[in-house]
Amino acid sequence: MRLDGRVARREGEAASVSRRGFLQGAGGAAAGALLAGQAAEAAAAAPRVVRGEQELVLHVNGEERAVGVEPRTTLLDALRIRLEDPLTGTKLVCDRGTCGACTVLLDGDPVYSCLVLAMDVVDREVTTVEGLAPAGEMNAVQRAMCKHDGMMCGFCTPGITVTLSALLEKNPGASLAEVREALCGNYCRCGTYPHVFDAALEAGRELQRSGR
Amino acid sequence: MSRVVQDGGPPGPAPSGKRWKKSSKDVDGHPVDHWILVSLEEDGPVWPERDRLQLLNADIQRVDGEAKVTGAARYSHDVRLEGMLYAAVLTSPMPRGNYEVDLDAARAVEGVEVVLDIAGGTVRYLGQVVAAVAGITPDHARDGLRALALEMEPEDWAVSPEQSKAENAPEVGRRGNRRAGRSRGKAEDVAAALEGCAAVVEAEYREPVQHHVCLETHGVVVDYNGGEEATVYASTQGTFTVGGDAAEILGLPESNVTAIVKHMGGGFGSKFGLDIPGDIACRLAKEARRPVHLLLDRQAEFSMVGNRSGGWQRVKAGCDAEGKLIGMQAEIETYGGLGRGSNPGLPYIYEVEEASSMKASVMTNTDSSRAMRAPGHPQASFAMESIVDELAYAVGVDPLEMRKRNLSDPAYQRQLDRVAAEIGWEEHEHKSVPGTGDGWTATGIGFGVATWGGGGRPSCEVEVRISSDGSVVVEVGTQDLGTGVRTYVTAIVAEEFGLPMSAVVARIGSSRFGSANASGGSVTTACLAPSVKAAAWGARRAFLERLGQALGVDSDQLSFVGGEVVDAGEAGNRRSWKDACALLPAEGLTERGKWKHQLAGNGVHGAQAAKVRVDLKTGAVEVLEMVGMQDCGLPLNHLALRSQLNGGMITALGYALLEERVVDAELGLLLNANMEDYKIPGSMEIPLMKAIVDTGDERQVVIGMAEPAVIPGAAAIANAVFNACGARVRELPITPDKVLAALGRV
Repeated sequence: MRLDGRVARREGEAASVSRRGFLQGAGGAAAGALLAGQAAEAAAAAPRVVRGEQELVLHVNGEERAVGVEPRTTLLDALRIRLEDPLTGTKLVCDRGTCGACTVLLDGDPVYSCLVLAMDVVDREVTTVEGLAPAGEMNAVQRAMCKHDGMMCGFCTPGITVTLSALLEKNPGASLAEVREALCGNYCRCGTYPHVFDAALEAGRELQRSGR
Repeated sequence: MSRVVQDGGPPGPAPSGKRWKKSSKDVDGHPVDHWILVSLEEDGPVWPERDRLQLLNADIQRVDGEAKVTGAARYSHDVRLEGMLYAAVLTSPMPRGNYEVDLDAARAVEGVEVVLDIAGGTVRYLGQVVAAVAGITPDHARDGLRALALEMEPEDWAVSPEQSKAENAPEVGRRGNRRAGRSRGKAEDVAAALEGCAAVVEAEYREPVQHHVCLETHGVVVDYNGGEEATVYASTQGTFTVGGDAAEILGLPESNVTAIVKHMGGGFGSKFGLDIPGDIACRLAKEARRPVHLLLDRQAEFSMVGNRSGGWQRVKAGCDAEGKLIGMQAEIETYGGLGRGSNPGLPYIYEVEEASSMKASVMTNTDSSRAMRAPGHPQASFAMESIVDELAYAVGVDPLEMRKRNLSDPAYQRQLDRVAAEIGWEEHEHKSVPGTGDGWTATGIGFGVATWGGGGRPSCEVEVRISSDGSVVVEVGTQDLGTGVRTYVTAIVAEEFGLPMSAVVARIGSSRFGSANASGGSVTTACLAPSVKAAAWGARRAFLERLGQALGVDSDQLSFVGGEVVDAGEAGNRRSWKDACALLPAEGLTERGKWKHQLAGNGVHGAQAAKVRVDLKTGAVEVLEMVGMQDCGLPLNHLALRSQLNGGMITALGYALLEERVVDAELGLLLNANMEDYKIPGSMEIPLMKAIVDTGDERQVVIGMAEPAVIPGAAAIANAVFNACGARVRELPITPDKVLAALGRV
């Protein structure tokens, strides 16, 4: 049957092959090699092996949040699904590090939370879209996004807002070219980009005026 | 004022807010018709003159903007319920065949609660769901899918139109693989007309299958625990299209099932009804007697919930020396998988003296196409605007002039002139012959036009409630796809009472509220806005009546201005909105409104221009600038309209340059079911954009305009590529290889 090979591949793929899945697979292979080698020094130097549910504490939006995860649980799933009072502002869209809808800040830098394992960030400060401004307030980017209608359906909006907040925090004088560059990992399907650019430039000006 | 009727028509234009009405009165015992002036309001609500509007016909900030930028907006994806299971589906990797899955193995997986075989052992299209698993987390559901160990025995398939049309092709549709559609005109008559033409061009155009790529994938959360009621949180374009089918599967009366659509992350024509994932979610929930969350993963989203049909069009057309279109023959095939696909037919919007067309659908073992923003129109537009352009260059007529000569509607004349002026056509160097560039790059400009209906019908029932504490609520079950529905619903009511936006709360997105149309065909504005206006208008008149009684004055002398009730009579006093509302009885005031025909129109026009730079060495096309102009009757919210127009042009840019579903015909494999390999426009591809709401359209009615915005952009880009360097690419997307091939360089 001409499709045998493909079907076999397909079974393993059912959950959608992702970079994350590939990395997990690669990790498993490495572990196997170590066991086969019986190298004591190598084993001592090897990462701690953990399985099953783990309790850990994440630092999210200035709070300590206890959460149960598995080693394979992404930061995105930890935030959206595993937390007791989940933070669903961060969106799952492509699930493989392409679209930027899951962007959060790790110690102030934007990352795709679908590509980060929750266990890897216990010592880091995570900021989600919900934590960009104190409750009931908006930061300069959020205000400008509203003013310029930098959104339509709104599903890409949290990721874009987080990315722009990080950019302008570091570089409030960002040019249009720099704004585009910063957003090149955030897809929008409604086509809000022109208004998002307007919002970014205005937010930058406001931050500069207010001496940030 | 009255005039005797003499010629059957009114004496002249009526002054603002009034109209002429025929009235009969007895003169010397004989009835004589008179024209009398009456207030427009006697017939019911009308939209106020544009210069009298305080909120509408201006830029209005989205009322749910803050919720969206702070992450507070809850989409169906975000619903979390006690005991909820997460479901995932396994899609067929083959276009056709018989399969076996090990359901028990999947059930044995830790954390898996329910496993269902969905297709019963046989699949008919690539990507069809074969099985579904519900588990305690998405990871556990996927563990279950892996354990299913799908085994398939393929049957012969046809995934490409060529395979489907081949001799001895496997039967795809039950009524044949090629199904004839509507044909118009007589090819012989056109052939005769083409004889005398100054130029005749014959060409074939091809369009790819385009995906919707909704960022929120299709699906629902079913809140069902085995009881008598259920709630379905649906990512849908129709709040009222979900509950019936869900009730049937769950075995409940429809009235016991509520559909909720608070926010939804994009539909573009692909999200109506309970749909495949909703159907499966209900079956899983029924078996588990627990809530089920089934929002497709991205791979399934690309495989099984529709697309814009591909197509092929062969066109032969001729014009006279001045560019007037004389004759056109068209043969059209639509490629909609197991569906029919769509194309409105040629010569599309243009006026051609003698035209004929034949249409057919060629079926394949792929996912059925669905409506996608202006279904069929971008396909027709690409072929039509291309051949109009080809003829223009063939007879040496300015392509802008060529279009104006074949479109008599003054709206197109006005819009084409404006977009041409904005993009710099006047000063552009090469108009009726393509440019050659500087050896490295070449710059060109192209045009296209669009049409759409966008009209309304009676379908909405809207409730406006004013409470004695001054709060105002407007309630209707409609959904906001991101178009700004919630915002204009709020604004229409606020406008009616002279209140700020913040004084009115719009509650939408629940089937427990008044009925509303599904949002397809750009009909929502023309269905909903008139109904909201009617409810607000009725509430205003009822409130004034009550106030007149309470205050002992004629209600005609009361009006709502700037958050106050103003008495124009002798008393001359003002009363704050809150104080006025305090005069209402404890139950407040409730008014319902239905659609009023005089508030809605139909038929819109748009024109777009694109400027591109072609890299002559690599064939890469960069869009430098796009200008779009669109009419819509009375514009409710200019800011949201510009967003909509930008969005349409950007989707068209993707269609022109980037997007294409790729299926390997030999292996029957979908090769780009993810957002890396299926490329949509990103921030680096966005040109300088100008979106212009056509205020030259003076119709005092509302009309939808979302779909036409997506139509002409791709053709305008293709025409700009030709204008730049003489590369006529007749197949979308215009990738570098095709440009180099058209230039004769590969």
